[in-house]
Amino acid sequence: MARSPRLTGRLDAVLFGACVILSLLATVLPAKMREPVAATLRGSMVAPLLQLQRGSERWRSAYVSSVREELKRDTLALAAARVPSLEIENNRLRQILGLGSKLQWGFIPAEALQGRGRSEDFTITLSAGSNAGVRERSLVVAPEGVVGIVQTVDPSMSIALLFAHPDFRVSAMSADASTFGIVQPYVPPVTPTGQEASYLSSERYLLELRGVPFRSQLKAGAVIFSSGLGGVYPRGIPIGVVIGEARTATAWARTYILRPAVNPSELSSVMILRPERTSGGLVNVWSDVAPVDSATRAMVAKGIIGAGDSLARQAAVDESAARRAALDTAARAFGDSARRDSLGRLDSLARVEAAATNPDSLILRARRDSAAAARARQRRRDSVAAAASAAPPPPRPDTVRRDTTGGIRP
Amino acid sequence: MNWSASIRTIVLVAVLIFLHYTLRPLLAWRASADFLIIALLLASVRVRPGIAAIFGFIIGLASDSLAIGTFGAGALALTLIGFTWSRLKAVFFADHVLLNGFFLFLGKWAYEVMMNLVERRMHGAELLMQILVWSSLSAAVTAVAGVLALMLLRPVLETRGS
Repeated sequence: MARSPRLTGRLDAVLFGACVILSLLATVLPAKMREPVAATLRGSMVAPLLQLQRGSERWRSAYVSSVREELKRDTLALAAARVPSLEIENNRLRQILGLGSKLQWGFIPAEALQGRGRSEDFTITLSAGSNAGVRERSLVVAPEGVVGIVQTVDPSMSIALLFAHPDFRVSAMSADASTFGIVQPYVPPVTPTGQEASYLSSERYLLELRGVPFRSQLKAGAVIFSSGLGGVYPRGIPIGVVIGEARTATAWARTYILRPAVNPSELSSVMILRPERTSGGLVNVWSDVAPVDSATRAMVAKGIIGAGDSLARQAAVDESAARRAALDTAARAFGDSARRDSLGRLDSLARVEAAATNPDSLILRARRDSAAAARARQRRRDSVAAAASAAPPPPRPDTVRRDTTGGIRP
Repeated sequence: MNWSASIRTIVLVAVLIFLHYTLRPLLAWRASADFLIIALLLASVRVRPGIAAIFGFIIGLASDSLAIGTFGAGALALTLIGFTWSRLKAVFFADHVLLNGFFLFLGKWAYEVMMNLVERRMHGAELLMQILVWSSLSAAVTAVAGVLALMLLRPVLETRGS
């Protein structure tokens, strides 16, 4: 039986009114009566829905807790991963503090900001500049030894050439001051494939000690210090450790490969030495090195030590020129700033070059002396040969040997 | 509405209520979709206003049973909303999806406003912020979820010849 729209409309209105009244009653219901009604609903109609909600909240809390656990693990892993680097940094800072206490005065601590480009392989940026007292050509040292020399100074920062720079030279000696030489960066032999290999190879930070007299031998592991004879680096700063002897074409001098005392890639904090501190000497700051007596100093200065010293220097100059030409070629090819860096050459090299080009220098004097001696020997051989050809043939070999040997022997 | 359509509507409403008590706590958004409102809209446009009012009253009372402080307020709000939607169905022929979304937004926002006013937990600027920002956001999310549900369930909800 169909109901009339009017009746259904009234029914709807009645139902709506009843619901509204019941809702209003529920809102004004006293708390004592409200709670039993709500509890009844929660225990019957809403109970399965509450179970669903509880289950889903458990899922969520499990998910959130797993995410938290994962975050905790990640945080712990991150912290654990940072521990070694923090230990290294801590040790390094302790070493810097120790070096500072030994130096006592005349130094400027700085942070070493390393570049990442190829051209920055030979330079480091220091966080101290002229405002802190840094001057050009100030020495940069680390607790392990020589780092380099300041090339450019800005008010708040400066740029230093590393010992790996192609123009780096320092007069060096062994710990007992028995062996002297010139330390410079090691450049592996040029291969047909070009110079790039030497730049990118792991050997690019190695050093070589050149011009060591042939009679002097160094064992692997021997520490090499700056000798102070060059006038730029004071005596007693560790430069590197001997790895082994390099094979060279020069027969009058030895060349040793050194592992540098400082690893440039691990540099973080350094000390910049003020010029007055450098001139004051650095003996006993790093370790005890044997004193260089005045006689040795004079002999080295006059080029007497080492028969091949003067020739070695000349050879070093020639090789340096060839090396620089090769590096310039490589720099042009790679487009880096090695060419620009080569303009800021160090004193030591200039001094060696000046000595080589000076006509009164020991190098040319030694060359003249050796040439004159060769000419005299040649004249003596000629006269002996002429006398032998004029004399009659000897009847017995013994007699000839007795007679002629006296004349031939110089 | 025939029996088949009634059963389909009941099933869909049950699914939406299920989602309200499972998906909503799982997401735990501050402005989350209210599937009860969507269920109420789906049911209201398919039943008489009196039935819609009763349905609104029941689900409102079920919600209020979990919040003793506002007991009855939810029932009152959903009764009004259900009855109004059912009455407006005849006026607007609310078959358009966007119109349904607008009704959802309006209904949810009205519900939120009523609940906030009845609860009297917030006052002043905080109440204003809640009504204008969070309630609106929640209403918008509900509207979007409702529109999506309507679009997905349209083939099921279509009543042939009714």
